[in-house]
Amino acid sequence: MKPVKVFLDESEIPKQWYNVLADMPTPMSPPLHPGTGQPVGPDDLAPVFPMNLIEQEVSTERWIDIPEEVLEKYLLWRPTPLYRARNFEKLLDAPVQIYYKNEGVSPPGSHKPNTAIAQAYYNKAFGIKRLSTETGAGQWGSALSMACQMFGLECRVFMVRVSYDQKPFRGIMMNVWGANCIPSPSDKTEAGRKILAEHPDSPGSLGIAISEAIEDAVGDEDARYSLGSVLNHVLLHQTVNGLETQKQLEKIGVYPDVVIGCTGGGSNFAGLCLPFVRDKIHGKEISVVAAEPTSCPTMTRGPFAYDFGDTAQTTPLLAMYTLGHDFVPAPIHAGGLRYHGMAPIISHLVKEQIMEARAYNQIQTFEAGVQWARTEGFISAPETNHAIAAVVQEAERAKEEGKEKVILFNWSGHGLVDLAAYDAYLTGKLQQYEMPEEEIARALQAIDGLPKP
Amino acid sequence: MYDHLEIRCPRLGGEVPFSYCQEEGGDLPCQRVITCWQPYFPVEDYLKEKLTPAQWDRLFNQAPEHKVTSLVELIEAAKKRRGL
Repeated sequence: MKPVKVFLDESEIPKQWYNVLADMPTPMSPPLHPGTGQPVGPDDLAPVFPMNLIEQEVSTERWIDIPEEVLEKYLLWRPTPLYRARNFEKLLDAPVQIYYKNEGVSPPGSHKPNTAIAQAYYNKAFGIKRLSTETGAGQWGSALSMACQMFGLECRVFMVRVSYDQKPFRGIMMNVWGANCIPSPSDKTEAGRKILAEHPDSPGSLGIAISEAIEDAVGDEDARYSLGSVLNHVLLHQTVNGLETQKQLEKIGVYPDVVIGCTGGGSNFAGLCLPFVRDKIHGKEISVVAAEPTSCPTMTRGPFAYDFGDTAQTTPLLAMYTLGHDFVPAPIHAGGLRYHGMAPIISHLVKEQIMEARAYNQIQTFEAGVQWARTEGFISAPETNHAIAAVVQEAERAKEEGKEKVILFNWSGHGLVDLAAYDAYLTGKLQQYEMPEEEIARALQAIDGLPKP
Repeated sequence: MYDHLEIRCPRLGGEVPFSYCQEEGGDLPCQRVITCWQPYFPVEDYLKEKLTPAQWDRLFNQAPEHKVTSLVELIEAAKKRRGL
């Protein structure tokens, strides 16, 4: 019987988080105050964050101790198991070993509590009595609700109205954990009331919900705001995942060639990848891939050929499925769009070419997710399916190149509250965009003179 | 005419109509609107007709704001609303 899972004993849980800012090869630009143009200081953020978290946000210490109280809560589901996806490997029939870290075993079913627990603890330690936040589909809101309950904090979650109506179960989860889940826009804040006065049927938006959550915290000495992604301290807390994974891989004498995570704001990706980024900065040969969403047509319609990895032709020639290096999908014409909303740390590492971002369309991701469910059993969160699509692509590359590879990815959460999205895929409501043949032919002219793999 | 079309929003994690994407940024569409919709209909042309050049520039030609900077903006706006 071949082993499938690698466990750590509870005593082996990492006792420190890893801060990649200590190892950044080039400094990151500081955020500037929109009014003064000067770097944002602790006092600017004090109305919404406790000072202990602000200190972490700007810290450049490499290792930061995880408080005992946080570790005690982590132990409810951590260390999480590292799996070998033997059934999926068999399906792909490629020379790859696929390992995945199962972050879906947390009570709310995702990686989000790794920072929710820490943030609730630090707010409690600072004397805060209530946290306010916003949530889209509810993954973050439910994680923070649970964490607040564990530390005796009141929790108020402004959930975007359209999601609140579509996904009542997430709201119910928040209520079970004792939080107050409020559809946004609401009449609880000036920002919400203004929107409702103009658009009584407004579906809300993340922007409105953030405005409400911040307004709800500002000016109340007992309240603060909490954010579940993007910020440095959030990514820091998530590194407990990657640090555990390194210990687990060490136990079986394996080191990955490729590390993959899906990225929206970047926290789950960072959690697994940043400890490996540290290795890469210190000389290890490893690819770090951020799988992000796009609606662009699938690249697999192009041939597997040698091409430059970028439009500027600065990378070495890479064997890949390609539509030509000068193929720029219309949506990407608009500058800066691709990294909108991504964590500054991740954007910086992509810019430094320490990690790379790859985009996958929703059909590809659901195809991969359904294949995954039918082999490994677990139904993934739709966002997690982006990482699985990247795994499939890496396996296909390995097969084409005839190279053995060890692939590691973050299975960041289950999709049991997202079954409507699977239903849309299974019933054909998601449409595949078909790029016209003449457009493909035009794009491929760019690789005419390059060698073939 | 496109308002009823639906897509999965990667930021929200759920299905939304195009009408949502047009208002996601308050007086502006979501910054991802072209990335998400262009394959399905010529949203770039549609928005060029609908937005003023200044709005277009603000939405698509400026680098995304640092999250901390946007938080500070929101804090200042919230303080004003609360008379602080």
